[in-house]
Amino acid sequence: MYTEPINNLNLKLEAWTNVITTSKYNPFYYHGALPQFYLWVLYLSGLLLFAYYIPTIDNAYSSEKLINAWTSVNYITNTIPFGAVFRGIHRYAGDAMVVTILLHMLRVWITDRYRQYRIVQWLSGVVLLVMVLFIGQTGYYLVWDERSLILTRMTCSALDAIPLVGTGLKTWFLNGTELTNYTLANFLFIHIGLSFALLFGLWIHYVRMTRPVLTPPPVINYILMAAILLVVAWFPIESGKMADLTSQPNTFEVDWFFLFPYAMLTSMQPGIFWLTMLAGVVLLCVVPYFVRTKEVEPAEVVLKNCTGCSLCAKDCPYQAIEMVPAPAESRFKLLATVKPYRCSGCGVCVGACAFDAIDLPNMPDADVTAQIKALLQS
Amino acid sequence: MSLVCERSCDLNAQLDSQGRLTAVPEVQVVKFPCSGMIQPLMVEAAFKAGATGVIITGCQLGDCYYREGNRMIRERLLGGRPPGLKKTVDRRRVIGLWLSRPQASRFISEAKEFLAVVTELGPVAPEPAKPTPAPKPAPQPKSEAKSEPENNKAPAGEAKSSKATAPADPGPEPAAQPKSETKDEPKTESKPEAKEEGKPES
Repeated sequence: MYTEPINNLNLKLEAWTNVITTSKYNPFYYHGALPQFYLWVLYLSGLLLFAYYIPTIDNAYSSEKLINAWTSVNYITNTIPFGAVFRGIHRYAGDAMVVTILLHMLRVWITDRYRQYRIVQWLSGVVLLVMVLFIGQTGYYLVWDERSLILTRMTCSALDAIPLVGTGLKTWFLNGTELTNYTLANFLFIHIGLSFALLFGLWIHYVRMTRPVLTPPPVINYILMAAILLVVAWFPIESGKMADLTSQPNTFEVDWFFLFPYAMLTSMQPGIFWLTMLAGVVLLCVVPYFVRTKEVEPAEVVLKNCTGCSLCAKDCPYQAIEMVPAPAESRFKLLATVKPYRCSGCGVCVGACAFDAIDLPNMPDADVTAQIKALLQS
Repeated sequence: MSLVCERSCDLNAQLDSQGRLTAVPEVQVVKFPCSGMIQPLMVEAAFKAGATGVIITGCQLGDCYYREGNRMIRERLLGGRPPGLKKTVDRRRVIGLWLSRPQASRFISEAKEFLAVVTELGPVAPEPAKPTPAPKPAPQPKSEAKSEPENNKAPAGEAKSSKATAPADPGPEPAAQPKSETKDEPKTESKPEAKEEGKPES
């Protein structure tokens, strides 16, 4: 494997971490659970923001004072108790989620745990990453300061440049042909709706894993949360100027975790931009196929020995064993069957079986026992 | 006898043609794709065939390449997950080492230490040994793990035949033993390099 040298370094690093944290609290071993934790944080902090957020550009029907998205965000930040903290948490937890996702991705790549029987996890992970990035961007539209206006306009022109479907997508995005009150309502829906769609994506991400590790030990959660709070305290969020549809602002601050596509858009043609993005996603999707290694040889059930005790099905880490009703002539009720495309060939099922009823075809347990005996006799 | 996961510490460079550890020729190595594949039956078979001790090696706990294999075999040996190890198997002779790929030297030093302990324990008693109320090895202090259950047995000479009573340990004991071994695992993690160079082979 071409990542082997990096992996050895990585494993040494993790071994050192183990010295400090012990393996039970080693954050490296919870790399997938970290973004999941930040997702919960985002849901909860977003709930409060959602309660006070008003998705409009102006209040055409109220003459007293201007109430719109920007002023409501302002209200949350300055008037609601702890509003600024929640807003800060929501922003920085989003950044942290992207960072942890990238680390998670890097680690599964380095340790070679993304191919073959893990392909569904990898591909759904790529989709989830794209979704998270897009959701984060829509969060930047919602605050409705000048940056939001620039980003919205840039998105419109970029969408417009797509042949055939571009105009339609733009109408979809703006909820009409131009920026109106409906637009922000749509942004809010995209932001929240897609966030919950993440849960569906995550279900696919997890469904082939038995007992996925979703929650780090509380200590790690506290540390993650403390890290966010520290950043919130040090770098409080400030809104830019309120967006003014008649103005043409043209500089904006880039949050590199989410807004890098816009930084790219400023320096390249929309067509090239879309091709680059597409190429990036496709590249991520095909990475698992770059490596050719030997095929997995799935475990095989020895039908006459299987008692249907289902220990192997319980222990299989990849949901690759299903218990089916045994044939009528059998003495037992159930029979184990292997789904070969899910099997990793790890042999945990062999270890779980007390009846020699499941085997790796290249390494039957009878052979192993014979080998043990032969070695000891020699 | 050592049952080793292919994905944990990389022993390929350390083996001679017959699958013995060159540094510690008493240790014979059988490789598995994952430590989770090891059946407790295989451990029993090894003892039946005359092994004086069994080393089980898997990835670092929490970091199994195949997700859960090391945890599974650990729980099976400790008795928390079926199928378990027979009660008659002397728990002092089974040890779990959880090592990542670059830690071969650590494996060798641990193997030497374990070998010394097992040699001291003497040969395995034949099957029908009655579970006598053996003096339990006390729960071990953390720092010095393996050599703990010292000599409640006179070190007898050869592996195969002698009838020195190796009493089977009573029920609650298996849980205590390997656990404390694995616990102190990370403690000693950092020093493998220094150890290995110093020791010539035995």
